Amino acid sequence: MREKATTLYIGPQHPGITGNMMVRLKVEGDTIVKAATEVGYLHRSFEKLIEKRNWLQSFTLLCRFCVPEPDPVEESYARAVEMIEGREVPERAKYIRVLVLELARIGSYLLWYGGQSGSLGLYTVGQWSVGDRNYILDLFEALTGARVYHMYIWPGGVRRDFPKGFEKKVIDTMDYLEKRLDDYDDLMFDNAIFKKRTKGVGIIDKEKAVEWGVVGPPLRGCGIRSDIRIDDPYEIYDKLDFIVPVEEGGDIWTRALVRRQEIRQSIRIIRQVIDNIPGGEYYNKVPNPQKWALPKGDAYARTEAVRGEVGMYLSSDGSINPRRAHFKGAAYVHAITLLEHLLVGENLADVAAIMNSLGTCPPEIER
Amino acid sequence: MMMEEIKTTIIDRIKLHFSDAVEKEFSYNRLDFSVKKETVPSILFYLKEEMGFKHLSHISCVDWLEEGEFEMIFILWSPEEKIKVFIHTRVDRSNPVMDNIDMIWRQANTYEREMKEMYGIQFTGLEAPEEFLLEDWNGPPPMRRDFDTEAYAAKTYWERPGREDALDVRETVEKRTGEVLPEFAKKYKR
Amino acid sequence: MINDKNSQKIVDIIRNYARKHSLWILAYGTGCGAIELPPTMTSRYDAERLGVRGAATPRQADLLLITGYLTTKSLKRVIRVYEQMQDPKYVIGFGSCTINGGMYWDSYNTIKALDRYLPVDVYINGCMPRPEAVLSGFAKLQELIQDGKANGAKEYKENLKWYRDNQKKVITNWKMPEYNW
Repeated sequence: MREKATTLYIGPQHPGITGNMMVRLKVEGDTIVKAATEVGYLHRSFEKLIEKRNWLQSFTLLCRFCVPEPDPVEESYARAVEMIEGREVPERAKYIRVLVLELARIGSYLLWYGGQSGSLGLYTVGQWSVGDRNYILDLFEALTGARVYHMYIWPGGVRRDFPKGFEKKVIDTMDYLEKRLDDYDDLMFDNAIFKKRTKGVGIIDKEKAVEWGVVGPPLRGCGIRSDIRIDDPYEIYDKLDFIVPVEEGGDIWTRALVRRQEIRQSIRIIRQVIDNIPGGEYYNKVPNPQKWALPKGDAYARTEAVRGEVGMYLSSDGSINPRRAHFKGAAYVHAITLLEHLLVGENLADVAAIMNSLGTCPPEIER
Repeated sequence: MMMEEIKTTIIDRIKLHFSDAVEKEFSYNRLDFSVKKETVPSILFYLKEEMGFKHLSHISCVDWLEEGEFEMIFILWSPEEKIKVFIHTRVDRSNPVMDNIDMIWRQANTYEREMKEMYGIQFTGLEAPEEFLLEDWNGPPPMRRDFDTEAYAAKTYWERPGREDALDVRETVEKRTGEVLPEFAKKYKR
Repeated sequence: MINDKNSQKIVDIIRNYARKHSLWILAYGTGCGAIELPPTMTSRYDAERLGVRGAATPRQADLLLITGYLTTKSLKRVIRVYEQMQDPKYVIGFGSCTINGGMYWDSYNTIKALDRYLPVDVYINGCMPRPEAVLSGFAKLQELIQDGKANGAKEYKENLKWYRDNQKKVITNWKMPEYNW
């Protein structure tokens, strides 16, 4: 007998949902037959406000685009500005930027560990990994002065140089984290519940993945080697030695495996950066921002964040304000059209796990 | 060297099929084409199906108020050739109508919903819920340049008045603690 | 029933003591401040030692954290959530943008002063407030509860009309049940 379809609302206030968004589901029994997302709870009109700010003032807004990992947004914007103006970045600044981006990646993955396992009821992992993320935030605090919003990567370089003894602190933290990662493997990836709940759930079709706009770890979880750090290299990523992990399968499990390996690769990158960082200038100073007009033109800079492609389209009309700063986050595609597609046929209890594995980040969608 | 060859091939093939395409070259792996708005769906379809530009990176819109036009930008990425292609087109601002392209890329649907709401651009045949980011909005499309967000905010939302005693921090500190500030600290007084 | 004034005082002290040590936060990340809550709740800062922990639904929660800016769309849901919560209930405004709009002062979609729309017991300033600041906010709220001064919910009931007028000014399409206390 066919069961009657019920409409079910998940969010905006729901412990399983990542952030402030809503998914409207039509369910038959436990199975989802139709899903529709509703976003807009966090629309702060950033892009309108940036048009009213000058090229540097917009940095206070930029880092708030995506809260768990703000640095790639700053990086994209700074690089887009540099592309339009043709501004050179000192070599040392490029290394520092890579260091910051990779630290942000580790921090964001640790938070994701907590979210992904929490969505399956394994709360201990979150207690550990979010606790360990504090060590990354401590590094950020030493380097930039802030825990969450750094405003550190600027057009022309970075805002300040390493504090005294920072290199050693970074290496110590990486040593500690490397040991801890084995504990996470025991607790999370060897866990029978985690395996059972994630294998074969939320499968992305490999053939269609690129067309659907899947990027980042979800795409690599489908067995497609695609990483902006390699394909469209920026800063000094082409000089570094690291592997882009790929897993076949396309379900939550493989996406988790990709992320698990990427933390180790990030640690590897950070070690290389600390070993090879050159001396010299860290900032190619921009002129007085009140009078700093960029030439006419446009640019699109993209950065590999933990969620995938994070891009910034900048258009300049030759004045001191951006004409248009249009941000594209991976969640803009992942959490709307892709999520709506993936949820169909899945179990109601897996909604939160699927959302987490896609890296849903509502502030990035709504801006 | 390789990149130059790829670019030349792309330009030749596009020019052969679309006579109105005007190319503009940028550094390294970026290539721009300006086309008429009627050509957009066919050129996008051609790039995707025939030339391997499978990944839709971004769709953006810029309001050129002074020229009375919207500029739409489609950014495509080819995973094999590792090259970006920008398609620029201009839409009349007083009657902004575009062709819907969400059958080429499903995710374009989201971009179109946003542009419809934020700029008031109509996409023929777009099937989507009315509201995307805003709710019960009855003003003009907010991302248009002639919409003044500051005036709107001042009119709609109550603003907490600033503290009178906080205009000069030094004075406030002096008053609160009774501490007399040295002369050099007052030098930069407003 | 206790009608004696002195006995009532003793009952109040015991009741407030109990209330202040079981503040359950509603799991509703209304804004970006929610990112500092996991560190606050987990091993290093461990807010649970103050009796602060998460609650899944409004009806079990005592504390509504407004973690940052509120868009008008979100405000509508927050009001709905707040009215579903049961007494005793408290509101903490978290971050500069709840106090005076912060950096969103000229945004067309965010409210600028939270206490016009909901009764706020404690404000925590900063963007973002550090976990230490969040903990001190919780401690301050506990202090107010112990002294019997955290009665935002009572004020809300008494001045419901004023709050409603303000709320309806920004929420143009008011389609919500009117709760009758």
